[in-house]
Amino acid sequence: MLINRKYIMAITGLFLCIFLIVHLSANFLLLLPNNLAKEAYNTYSHLLRNNPLISAVSILLYLAIIFHSVMALIITLDNKKAKPQKYFMNYAQQNSSWNSRNMGLLGLMILIFIIVHMANFWAKVKLGYGPELPIDSKGQIDIYSVVVTTLKNPFITLFYTILSIPLAMHLHHGVQSAAKTLGLYHKRYLKYVALIATFYSCVMGLGFGLIPLYIYFFSQG
Amino acid sequence: MTRLDAKIPEGELEKKWSNYQAKSNLINPANKRKLKVIVVGSGLAGAGAAATMAELGYQVECFCYQDSPRRAHSVAAQGGINACKNYQHDGDSVWRMFYDTLKGGDFRSREANVYRLAQLSAPLIDHFAAQGVPFAREYGGTLANRSFGGVQVERTFYARGQTGQQLLVAAYSQLSKMVEAKKVTMHTRHEMLELVVTDGKASGIITRNLITGEIEAHNAHAVVLATGGYSRVFRLSTLAIGCNGSAIWRAHKKGAFMAGPSFTQIHPTALPQSSDSQSKLTLMSESLRNDGRIWVPKNKDDKRDPSLIQEEDRDYYLERRYPSFGNLAPRDISSRAAKERIDAGHGVGPLRNAVYLDFKDAINRLGLKVIKDRYGNLFDMYKKITGIDAYKSPMLISPAAHFSMGGLWVDYELMTTIPGLYAIGECNYSDHGANRLGANSLLQASIDGYFILPNTINNYLSSAIKNDPPKSDAPEFTEAKSQVEQRISRLLEIKGSKTVDHFHRDLGHIMWQECSMSRNEAGLKKAIIDIKKLKEEFWSDVKITGHDKELNQELEKGLRLADFIELAILMCEDALERNESCGAHFREEFQTPEGEALRDDSQFSYVSAWEFINENEFKLHKEQLNFEFVKPTVRSYK
Amino acid sequence: MRVNFKIWRQESHQEEGSFKDYSVDNITSDMSLLEALDYLNETLVLKDEKVVAFDYDCREGICGQCGIFVNGRAHGPHDNTTTCQVHMRSFEDGQTIVLEPWRARAFPIVKDLIVDRSALDRIIQKNGYITVKTGGAGEANSILVAKKDADKAMDAAACIGCGACIATCKNSSASLFTAAKINHLDHLPQGKLETNERVMAMVSQMELENFGSCSFTGACEIECPQSISITEIARMNNLFLKAKLTKE
Repeated sequence: MLINRKYIMAITGLFLCIFLIVHLSANFLLLLPNNLAKEAYNTYSHLLRNNPLISAVSILLYLAIIFHSVMALIITLDNKKAKPQKYFMNYAQQNSSWNSRNMGLLGLMILIFIIVHMANFWAKVKLGYGPELPIDSKGQIDIYSVVVTTLKNPFITLFYTILSIPLAMHLHHGVQSAAKTLGLYHKRYLKYVALIATFYSCVMGLGFGLIPLYIYFFSQG
Repeated sequence: MTRLDAKIPEGELEKKWSNYQAKSNLINPANKRKLKVIVVGSGLAGAGAAATMAELGYQVECFCYQDSPRRAHSVAAQGGINACKNYQHDGDSVWRMFYDTLKGGDFRSREANVYRLAQLSAPLIDHFAAQGVPFAREYGGTLANRSFGGVQVERTFYARGQTGQQLLVAAYSQLSKMVEAKKVTMHTRHEMLELVVTDGKASGIITRNLITGEIEAHNAHAVVLATGGYSRVFRLSTLAIGCNGSAIWRAHKKGAFMAGPSFTQIHPTALPQSSDSQSKLTLMSESLRNDGRIWVPKNKDDKRDPSLIQEEDRDYYLERRYPSFGNLAPRDISSRAAKERIDAGHGVGPLRNAVYLDFKDAINRLGLKVIKDRYGNLFDMYKKITGIDAYKSPMLISPAAHFSMGGLWVDYELMTTIPGLYAIGECNYSDHGANRLGANSLLQASIDGYFILPNTINNYLSSAIKNDPPKSDAPEFTEAKSQVEQRISRLLEIKGSKTVDHFHRDLGHIMWQECSMSRNEAGLKKAIIDIKKLKEEFWSDVKITGHDKELNQELEKGLRLADFIELAILMCEDALERNESCGAHFREEFQTPEGEALRDDSQFSYVSAWEFINENEFKLHKEQLNFEFVKPTVRSYK
Repeated sequence: MRVNFKIWRQESHQEEGSFKDYSVDNITSDMSLLEALDYLNETLVLKDEKVVAFDYDCREGICGQCGIFVNGRAHGPHDNTTTCQVHMRSFEDGQTIVLEPWRARAFPIVKDLIVDRSALDRIIQKNGYITVKTGGAGEANSILVAKKDADKAMDAAACIGCGACIATCKNSSASLFTAAKINHLDHLPQGKLETNERVMAMVSQMELENFGSCSFTGACEIECPQSISITEIARMNNLFLKAKLTKE
């Protein structure tokens, strides 16, 4: 049933939102002074890689991304089928926000981002793709250097920064929509959810958007 | 006159309905399944009857011209529904409600019918509450009431300003329940164009499928008409554009008597007409009169802004003329009083055709919040249509054609003069006499449909079980079908020079001028001549484009108007015959020196039931009204 | 004033449709939009042309029969209004007014601006009622209903079934319509007893009728003539989830 798919969208979406918090928190380590940042970030990465619980959660994470995307595709196709003929004139902007109507497009942009992002880092670390990775003084993989080197490429930094905008837009509507999909209907709480969604999406957008810029300008591998 | 036997049961007034029920015939459930009943119309009366009869086991076929049964015009009743629950402890009782209704109708209805209406009102509220109608409630959870025109107790139940909608949606949901149970077959976008009578009994109908234009025959053991009012005969009215008199007029031409056809209620609180292209007059709920005060400027042609007119220059004419009822005087009296002031040159608004309904005092007394809570949606609606904020400036209101008290003559069982043909709700003449009290129409429609008809129809069907109606391809059906087809092609072939709306405007103009709030002999006679001329012109000069085997709204309008024109003639004949003033029927020749209606019980204490002889001739039958239990008094609201 | 209508004309569901332009003089600003169409139709009849078919009935915003996509908005340029309550003063002299039928797979076009909304009736037929027989009701005041519950029930019950929510929804979702009925009955103790079966049955039927799903864009609550809130949909989701989780 369609409504079940929406529940899956909401649950996977919210799960991914939690992941983003963890991810961004870790990224803040990158803002420490160079030496500290390097040590902290590499240690953190090392811990993640070697913790079986995290490995298990990461599988959930991959599944969540896949489910969220596949469901989105199916739902979007179904929804398009439900309105086979578009209006000649449609002032949808007068009754709804742009991002609420374009969650699929925004999601697709984020998916592209995720693929590029995973190719940049995950593929190198997890699949051993590309040249051999540097090792830091503690003998851990020097992910920090990988990050900084990658982001010294202005195109990649720009790509990361720009795509934080659709991320924020997607999150802003997604969080609220998920709450309603899962049945939160009290107007008072929905007001709080709206506030939280605004705050959350701003933090995520700014965080993920500005950190690459900081690294581009200030960090050294 | 044997044909007009009202079949009023024996016994004391309070016992008549139970006596009737005790003695009427029943049908065993296995046999009910074999009996088919047609219900035309899906409003409160029709949907209630169709759902209830289906629950009882009959096969029901229900027809409506709209795209869904939920659109029927019961939906538009705003104010409420009366019931003598006496929840307010203000002295209400079945007797008082009975008396108010009888008196409100100016003693031109049957005691037994009206008493039954009052008696069944309380269980009806129980029934609607059980169906999920979100009636207004007190903080403690009990049902709330408000007062309404023509009575001095608070007995009106309501659901914001959308009572009719909520009751209809409840009836519609019950109808849907029986559609799902496959006990009711619903035919939407179907219009009844002919009644079929076999051996003097109703045996089916001919309909037009409004999408394909297909003419279809439907047979049944009994036919129930629940087709509502016909005030669109005035063209400008508070009714839906599609409301029409065709079903009852077709039945009339097949032998059903029309009773009191000229009794039309003119509602006092509609929005005034603003131009000729206007298609309808929007009603503002009468409940507004609970808190609003009606006035006009004391000086003729006072064109000042209402806020600049001082108290001493305002004439609160209802409070002046009817001090004990004031702004809550019954509809006919309020409308006529407004017309009197407007005609005397005190009208307000751009076309000087309106009076003020002012909430200033109520807002000062109760506060803006209370008024918003009570009437918010009505004020919003007023603003949408007129662009005026009625919280700041008084509303402009004006009388408009509204409810048809007249309709097919029915007996105590709601059966017309054609055996097997029933008329329920607004399309019959039963409980309201010459004038209907506010919030009694939803009541009558519901009670007819839910409570009375499903009980009384057994009495007829118990004998019908032995003789099935002819098959829908029997000669009488094919003949009726071809008559309908001929009428349609005749209409389409005229290819004249004027639109249907053009003729409808002319008809409306004549009727509003001569057969509405006040009538006189000369005017009515002239109106009859004019309408007959209009009829000739219509049938020789109307132009309808498109063809018959498609969705053709011009054709629909044309067929309805053709029947309205004929009905209008009978309305004028009826008004002309009744040489008295009673209720909504005000003949200028019959009034007191103060301008109040002068009823003549010695001569006119009867229901006029008209038999169709031919297009130009109607025969009057009189059903004498015998008042056994109350003594008709002068209907005074002073 | 003079206006130019650009109107979708389509003979039937089977045939292709297209826009046709009509320019109409002598329109007055106090006319309603539908009266302007009446007027256009009268001129068409006199020109021997077929009239524009459009739905209407009460013309006071309560029956729900009218519904046109007017200049890119369901029911025209104002929020929370029916088409019949749009007046020509909302348009400018010389303006082009584009009229399209409701577009949704679940609403096949019948003719010109008329669509078939019987899918909505079929949703109601699936438990969109309280199972009670005529004659069996107890005293109304024996079941108390808190004023706030009655008010909430009324907020949802106000739905007129016009289909604007579906027309405006990019997914043609009937969630607002369906939720309104489910919540109306669930707020009342009389209706609550059957909520679980009702919500399951109505939601299934809604999906069978080829309506899309809800993306919470909020367009529906802006176009709804009765201002029914989108939170009704959230509440329906809540009830559905509960019904599903507690299903025996």
